[in-house]
Amino acid sequence: MSEPVLSVENLSLRYRVPGGTVAALRSVSIAVRQGEVLGIAGESGCGKSTLAAAMIDLTGANAEITSGTVRLRGQDILSLSRDSRRRLRGREIAMVFQDPMTAFSPVLTVGEQLVDFQFNINDVPRREKWIRAQHMLARVGLTDPDLAMSRFPHELSGGMRQRAAIAAALLMRPAVLIADEPTTALDVTMEAQIVHLLRELQADYRCAIVIVTHHLGVIAELCDRVAVMYAGEVVEEAPVDVLYHDPRHPYTRALLACDPALIEEATGRLPAIGGRLPDLAHPPPGCAFAERCRLSTERCRIVPPPRVALGPDRSALCHEVAP
Amino acid sequence: MTALLTIDDLGVDLALGGWFGAARRSLNILAGVTLDLKPGETLGLVGESGSGKTTLARAVLGLQQITGGSVRFEGSDLARPADFRAIRRRTALMFQDATASLSPRMTVGEAVTEPFAIHRIAIRNHHEKAAELLAEVGLPPEMAARYPHELSGGQARRVGVARALALKPVLVIADEPTAGLDVSVQAEILNLMSDLKARHGLSYMIITHNLALVRHVADRIAVLYLGRLVETGPTRAIFAAPRHPYTQSLIAAEPKPDPRKRRTDLAIRGEIPSILRRPVGCEFNTRCPLAQDICRAEPPALNDLGQGRAVRCHFAKDITEGGRHELEH
Repeated sequence: MSEPVLSVENLSLRYRVPGGTVAALRSVSIAVRQGEVLGIAGESGCGKSTLAAAMIDLTGANAEITSGTVRLRGQDILSLSRDSRRRLRGREIAMVFQDPMTAFSPVLTVGEQLVDFQFNINDVPRREKWIRAQHMLARVGLTDPDLAMSRFPHELSGGMRQRAAIAAALLMRPAVLIADEPTTALDVTMEAQIVHLLRELQADYRCAIVIVTHHLGVIAELCDRVAVMYAGEVVEEAPVDVLYHDPRHPYTRALLACDPALIEEATGRLPAIGGRLPDLAHPPPGCAFAERCRLSTERCRIVPPPRVALGPDRSALCHEVAP
Repeated sequence: MTALLTIDDLGVDLALGGWFGAARRSLNILAGVTLDLKPGETLGLVGESGSGKTTLARAVLGLQQITGGSVRFEGSDLARPADFRAIRRRTALMFQDATASLSPRMTVGEAVTEPFAIHRIAIRNHHEKAAELLAEVGLPPEMAARYPHELSGGQARRVGVARALALKPVLVIADEPTAGLDVSVQAEILNLMSDLKARHGLSYMIITHNLALVRHVADRIAVLYLGRLVETGPTRAIFAAPRHPYTQSLIAAEPKPDPRKRRTDLAIRGEIPSILRRPVGCEFNTRCPLAQDICRAEPPALNDLGQGRAVRCHFAKDITEGGRHELEH
C-alpha cells in the first residue's frame, strides 16, 4: 500500500468563543493516499468542515490547534513558516468550496482570475496561462470555454461556476484536492454531473481527493474510503463498500438507517436519531454518542471508547463493537 | 371526492422591460399547468431550479399574478386579490429558509401568534396560545421567549410549522421543508408533518427537488420542467415506471447511497435552458435522449394515460419502462 500523501495525526482543534472554547476536533487521525478518494461524512457540527480547513491550513482566526500534526508527504506543514504554508496552498493542496459564487471575486472575469491563480508559475507568459486556463475549462466540461473566460462569475449558472471552481483548483496540478460539500448547492442533475466529472478527473490526474459532505449518496458514488465523524471525532473508518453494507459503529448504523434514499418501501414515518449533539464546549467524559445510542451502558458514559481495529483500513471508536 | 384545490390551465407571464418607451415584452414562466389536490392528500411538486415550482405555489396563494387559466379553492374561483385574502386563513405557507422567514426582532411566541393579529382574531391569552402551538410541534413552552438566532435549524423549522398551523388551515404549502437539515432532523420534521396531517386532516403541497423525500411523503407527484407540467401521477406508479424521459433522467440521476449501485454513465447531460431562450417545440428536447424532429418543432400536449397519470411527451404512449431502449436503437 502506498504512503499517504496527506495525513492528519491526533489533531485537536478548538475554537475560542465568548465565554470559553469549543472542541471542534478531538484527536482526529486520517490519511489519504495518492489516487484515492476519501469521503468525510457527518452531520452539521461534527467537525468535518473544520477538518477540511485544517488540512489546507485555512482555519479561522479563532481556531487554535492544541495538538497533532498535518503532514504532506511526511512533512509537518503546521511547523512551517506562514509563507511556506501559503506557497503550498493552491500548488500542492487545492480546495473547492460549497458555494462557487463566493470562491471567485465578483469584480474580475473568470478568465482573469484563472490566470491570476497561476501566479506561482514564474517564467510563463500571460498568454500561455490564458490558454492553459481555457484548456482546463474545456476539460471540466464547459462547452464554450472562450465565452466562459470573458464572463463574470455571476453570469455563469451554478453548475458552470462549480465546474470553473474545479478547473481553478486543478490548474496547478495539486497533489491533494479537498472539496467541501461540492454539490450541496446544486440540483440533482448538476450534482450527478459534478460527481461524474470528479470521478473522471481523478482517473486522469491521479491526485488524492478528499470529499466532505453530509450526502451519503455522493460518498457512495465517489469515494474509496470513508471516515464518519461525530462530535469532533472520527467514529468509524472503512472502505466504502464495507461501510454501507456492514456498518459497525452505532452512529453510522443510525445515520444510514435514517437516509430516506436507502428505504426502498415508501413509508409515512422515517426513522430518526433521537436526542441532540453533545455540547462541545464541555465534551462528555465518555463516548460522545452514548446519550443517543441504543447499545450504551454505564461504562460508555464514563470511559472514553477505544479505537477498535476491525480489519485493514477499518476501525470504530466504540466500547461495544467486537474486533 | 371533490378537489380542495383545482388548478386549470394555469399560466404566469412576467412583464419585462418597458424602460423609457421601449416596448414591453412578456416572459412566459408557467403555461398549461393543470393539477388538483384532494382533501387530505399530499402532492409533491418536483423539478430543478428554474422549473417554476415556487412560482406555481405563489400563484396558487395569490402572491403572483395569474395571466391565464384559473385556480379554484374549495369550489370557489380565485381571481381578485379579495378572493385570495379570503382563503388566507384556510391556507398557509412554510418558507424555504425557516430562520430567515422569522422576524429577527420577534420572539418565537410573538411569531407564532402573529397570524391571529394579522387576521384580527382575538385570543384570550397569548402565552397560553403560544405554548399550545409550540407543544403541537414538540417544542417546550420556554422556547416562546427565544429569538430566531437562538434556534437550531430543526427548531426554526418547527416554529415555521407552528406558525403555519396557527389558524388551522386545510392546505399547507411547504417550500423545501427540509432543505439544509441533516438527515436525522429531516426525518423528525417529516414525521411531525405527517402526524399533524393525520391529526388535523391537512393537505400538503410540498415543493422540493429531493426525490427521496417525495417518494416517502407524497401521495402524488407533479414534475415541472421549465414551467411546464411534464408528468403527474401517483408517486408509487411514477417511481416504479416513470414515463417522461425527464422524469426518468431525474430519478436515474439521484446518487444512490450504495456503492454497489454506482452509475458509470451520465443520466442527464446539459443544463436546464434559460427561460429567456425557451426551446422551440418540447422544452426538454435539448437534453432528451429520445428527441426526434417533431420534438424540435411542436410542443407536445399533456397525454392522459389513465389511472391518474398524464405525460407531456410526443412519445408518451410508446415509452414504457423497457421501451426507452427500444426507441434508442
